[in-house]
Amino acid sequence: MDTSNSLVIETQNLSKTYKETQALKGLNLTVKHNSIFGFLGPNGAGKSTTIKILLGLIQPSGGQATVFGHDIQRESVAIRRRVGYLAQDPRYYEHMTARQILNYTARFFYRGPKDLIDARVQEVIGLVGLDNKADRPIRGFSGGERQRLGIAQAQVNYPDLLILDEPAASLDPMGRHDVLDVMERLRKYTTIFYSTHILEDVQRVSDTVAILNQGRMIAEAPIDQLLAGDGGPIIYNITLKSVTKQAVADAQTRITSQPWVQHLSITPEDGHMDWQVSVTDEAAAEDQLLGLILIDHSLKVMNFGRKTFNLEEVFLDLVEKENSK
Amino acid sequence: MTVQTETQVSQDLRTITRQGLLPASGGGWLAGYGNMLAKELGEWFNTRRWLWQLLLWPIILDGWIAFPLFVLPYLESTNPTFQGATEKMFAGLPTELGSIYMFYSMVVLAGTLGAIIFAQDEVIQEKQSGTAAWILSKPVARPAFILTKLQSNVIGMLVFVVGLPGLIALGEIYLATHQLVPLVPFLVGMAVILLGLVFYTSLVIMLGVLCESRSKVLGIGFGIFFAGMMLKTFFPQIAYVLPIAMDGIGLSILLGMPLPVMLLSELISVAVLTVVFIVVALWRFQRKEM
Repeated sequence: MDTSNSLVIETQNLSKTYKETQALKGLNLTVKHNSIFGFLGPNGAGKSTTIKILLGLIQPSGGQATVFGHDIQRESVAIRRRVGYLAQDPRYYEHMTARQILNYTARFFYRGPKDLIDARVQEVIGLVGLDNKADRPIRGFSGGERQRLGIAQAQVNYPDLLILDEPAASLDPMGRHDVLDVMERLRKYTTIFYSTHILEDVQRVSDTVAILNQGRMIAEAPIDQLLAGDGGPIIYNITLKSVTKQAVADAQTRITSQPWVQHLSITPEDGHMDWQVSVTDEAAAEDQLLGLILIDHSLKVMNFGRKTFNLEEVFLDLVEKENSK
Repeated sequence: MTVQTETQVSQDLRTITRQGLLPASGGGWLAGYGNMLAKELGEWFNTRRWLWQLLLWPIILDGWIAFPLFVLPYLESTNPTFQGATEKMFAGLPTELGSIYMFYSMVVLAGTLGAIIFAQDEVIQEKQSGTAAWILSKPVARPAFILTKLQSNVIGMLVFVVGLPGLIALGEIYLATHQLVPLVPFLVGMAVILLGLVFYTSLVIMLGVLCESRSKVLGIGFGIFFAGMMLKTFFPQIAYVLPIAMDGIGLSILLGMPLPVMLLSELISVAVLTVVFIVVALWRFQRKEM
């Protein structure tokens, strides 16, 4: 396989219009090799549309995209040879057993030998924990079992890219946990591109995140960068303990007089104070901020660090900003 | 010294794991064809469906000619009121040819209804249930999806509706008359009848691609068949285009008669329209959004 090109997915101004609705508006996306890429957005944001375009199930109205360097419109079959896909609401032939479904799927990728295909099928059955149900017709499967089968069929061809559309959406907490576990185990073998609206899952397993809203991408960054609030205000959290009010007032004056300090807010808590210092110069803050407080030995710093956001805050902030435009 | 990155190591591991597995053959518009055809044929031959087909079609088609071949002669010999009934029924044709014509007519009637029913669900159900989208997310060319549906139905009908009942019919005729039906003209006649069935199969598969409602597919399929049957009395010219006299063409071949222009035109038109239906189905399905 071609590992020289580190980009697995690349889209340029990809768009899709259904009659008068613009489902996707000029999407520019890059997914790097061996990443777990979380594609985040509210329902109807265009996540499934993007995935279906990448797989050739629907045609884009404009723009271009490549997967493994193959054009999605002209070389779709070559792309699908290297991809495993789990749909949002996966459907299979109800009268077939899980083993038959997996065997059928495997034969789109391999023609033999039979015993090796059977062994691979057995391996993925074990991987998703369907050993006891493998020879039963899937019409009797629960939602969780169907999802496991979905992951198994997406994995049967050792895909270089695994595309999962809302893999945990219809599952109970235990099922979700299992699915995320499988994703983490597969991380070292394959690139995973998955869509979801469950922020907790993204924060747990993704290394890169793109946020889509109303067909437009509003953020794409490594998860650490996104959670650090890069691009937004730089905020430091400080927890202080002081014997005198004067010491606190002096420290407050020392800090607010710095040209790189934008804002200081103080919240008194039980026996200590929480300070939030908003700064414009990260380097100056790292060099001087703590020192400016500790000049006074009567002040005790219990906690000091740059504020990190949780994904929900970042997501809601970005979506609200986008919606208010 | 060569230093391997973690990525390279995992790629190597995968290559080792894949060793021995042979990549599927068939690319381009045939990608996935063999696997899909095996699955579609399995629906005919690896499920209980084959047993039902094996019972149903001989009962309908061979049972239909068993009456004039075995029952009517018995009635003629035991009851004077039935005297000459067999000759009347076969319109003066020798018994073996008359019964073949009856057989052809029944294959056209029942076989066409069967062809429409078999094919009506093939595409539309897969579109509606989402299994088509699942299959097409694998390395499968869209033409292969349509062509395997068509081919499996044609093979199924060739075996169960045309082949086996045809063989049984030949046996019945030999048992009743001790006459051998000329085999080559009989088989050519059967091929003509099969062409009529392929016409309806491809029509219904095309409708399945174009329509989103099963009732529309069935309605148009049955509508064309029954309208053709009813209208041929008032507008015989319809036989220039639609397969409404395929049994007549089969009989002409069996009798060694040259085909009248109308029937020749019907034969050509049915073949051309069948190709048109398949091309339209392939073209439209290629652009279908899943």
